[in-house]
Amino acid sequence: MAQTSVKDQKAGGAPQTHSSSRVLARRETISAYLFMLPSLLFFVGFVLVPMGMCLVYSFLDMGIDTSAAAFNGLNNYIEMFQDKTFIRSLWNTVLIVIVSVPVVTAFSLWVGSAIYPMRSKLRSFFRCVFYLPVVTGSVAVTVVWKWMFNPYNGLLNQIFGTVGFDWLGDTRTAIWCIIMILFTTSIGQPIVLYVAALGNVDRSLEEAAAIDGATKFQIFWKIKWAQIMPTTLYVLVITTINSFQCFALIQLLTRGGPLGSTSTLMYYIFDMAYNYQRFGYANAMGVVLAIFIAIFSAIQFKVAQSDNG
Amino acid sequence: MKKAISRRDFLKVTGVVGAAGLLAACGGNSSSSTAASTAAGSTAPAGDGSVEISLWTYPIGSWGGTESKLDDIIAAFNKVHPEIKVTYETLDYQNGDNLVTSAITAKETPDIIMEGPERLVSNWGANNLMVDLSDLWADTEDDIAAVSESVVSACQLNGAYYEYPLCMTTHCMAINYDVFEKAGALQYLDEATRTWTTDDFVKAMETIRDSGLAAVPGIIYCGGQGGDQGTRALVNNLYSGTYTNADHTEYTANSAENVKALELLKSMVDNRSLNANAGFQASDELQQFANGTAAVTFCWNASNKAQYASQVTFTPYAMAFPSDDGVPELCGGIWGFGVFNNGDDARIEAAKTFIQFVCDDASQAAESVRLTGFFPVRDSLGDVYDGTDQAEQMGEFASLMPYLGDYYNVAPNWTAQRQNWFNMLQEIMVNGTPAQEAADAFVAASNP
Repeated sequence: MAQTSVKDQKAGGAPQTHSSSRVLARRETISAYLFMLPSLLFFVGFVLVPMGMCLVYSFLDMGIDTSAAAFNGLNNYIEMFQDKTFIRSLWNTVLIVIVSVPVVTAFSLWVGSAIYPMRSKLRSFFRCVFYLPVVTGSVAVTVVWKWMFNPYNGLLNQIFGTVGFDWLGDTRTAIWCIIMILFTTSIGQPIVLYVAALGNVDRSLEEAAAIDGATKFQIFWKIKWAQIMPTTLYVLVITTINSFQCFALIQLLTRGGPLGSTSTLMYYIFDMAYNYQRFGYANAMGVVLAIFIAIFSAIQFKVAQSDNG
Repeated sequence: MKKAISRRDFLKVTGVVGAAGLLAACGGNSSSSTAASTAAGSTAPAGDGSVEISLWTYPIGSWGGTESKLDDIIAAFNKVHPEIKVTYETLDYQNGDNLVTSAITAKETPDIIMEGPERLVSNWGANNLMVDLSDLWADTEDDIAAVSESVVSACQLNGAYYEYPLCMTTHCMAINYDVFEKAGALQYLDEATRTWTTDDFVKAMETIRDSGLAAVPGIIYCGGQGGDQGTRALVNNLYSGTYTNADHTEYTANSAENVKALELLKSMVDNRSLNANAGFQASDELQQFANGTAAVTFCWNASNKAQYASQVTFTPYAMAFPSDDGVPELCGGIWGFGVFNNGDDARIEAAKTFIQFVCDDASQAAESVRLTGFFPVRDSLGDVYDGTDQAEQMGEFASLMPYLGDYYNVAPNWTAQRQNWFNMLQEIMVNGTPAQEAADAFVAASNP
């Protein structure tokens, strides 16, 4: 009886089942694509197509009269690495990333660890305080900082008794002012994320380790740190990208000056496109910036994954 | 019979509707309030023969800024031409150029734009983005030439007129009269002619420094992009240098006269009779003058005086830039209209109609000029401020008009050289680079 059933299935029932499962699979596939369609359209229209255009334009000598654009081969890329301001901007960008990413991550983790054990209301208060610069518009933030840095009437010079000193106009201090402001606007999100991540750490593991005689540092390093690693990875990547793309602060505060000491790749791209109207060259720099960000992010993923593993 | 929709069908429909909504949101005319999109979304010719055009203006007196009178101007125009609807956006000098560049690259430029020849002619006109307005000039060229030939030449390039001018002025500097009086520095300036020599300027600034009546005698702003006419005129006048050659084809900022002037300014910065701030833009310097921190400003004109009138608690006194021979040559400002070539003849004609109305209409032209706070470029308009409450204030600036110098703002690479100019000032004033070396670098970077 059973053999007959199997034979029947092999003879006629199996194709029917395969056919219906194919229909089912097709329906599932169509549904999946429909779900993805809005995001996909957005991604294609606002990410992939502009990226493709950026790549194409990077090989053109193109000014404000786009109809006069001419193929320029690799000249934009060659010029870039002979351009002192580009090299300076690249160095400033790397400096911002190197300083700001570890400092933001470490400070956020420290603050997150400090406020996580607090009572709920107090914790929320501190989260609001640290998140405030994030939700405040960058224009408002920079206007306040610009006033504080004013050489003649600014708060900082009044406090330090250095009236006349131009914090944003001195090549030695300008980039550090930018990094400091960037720090205040960057820590809000990581702190909130770390507080949430620390809340998800398995308490039983901590208690077991404590009973086994583990020190606080050992508990943090062997248990908490390992469990918040995905959050740390996210914080590292996001902070790196934000640091690479630091633009508004520079545009509003220093316009890359003095003498290019605060110019970053992102700002220099803008400067070339809008002030010098060299769109082809600006696009070539955009391509290089994207490659740098991809490399940095990949390294961070790799390092964090091996740490985790 | 009521048929229930399955969850799968519901999700499919939601997906399709969502995607369609996204497409709709991404495409078509936008009615958002940003400068670029407002104009683009509201300028389509209507089906009943009426036309909608857009106007963007920089802050030129009441033609822009926070107290714009554009509604009144458009209302006056619509009394005569109700078939043309005009929408407008006001730009500022800090971000206006970026907005226009964005609009150009997105092919969403306004129909009309109001600014000067350095943008309309040397930049957008030279890049084939503007409409030739020669037909508007046909009847008025003589009238405009009677005021200044340089206005006529500044508005054209290779025989095509890309600007139809409305007004002009001279850019000057200003002193805090009260501080100068208390410090005893008025002796160094000729109040009758509003001029002073280079030597007297140096003595005056040292007197102000020694008096301690102002936190800083004056500030050379070395940052930003706008207001460059102030520092240019200061440098050029000190030892009668020129900014470009006579043909306006090459920059000459590295001439011996200019280098000597830059060295003088650097020495004044070193002895604290002037300050140099690389982090300061022209607006920052003006603010320090307006609040009494600085005793002079190098970026002054009638429009700025009106803008800061409510803030100053002293008498701002307009002065020509100091010169070695006491005969200054001031930078001119010419403002007028250009029409972007959007490829729509109806809108181009409507734009020309609007421009002609505000510049040439007997009932409107004088008022159009008065709203700029500057002076007419048409001889036939005469003194547009005579008998008005602006007469006294404008008399102050009218007395500087005879010092109007060469209008060189049509030199090539104008946009890029402005950036290079500030870089050069930073090199000299902040970095201590020798003036000749920095000026040579400026010329090399700016000349075509």
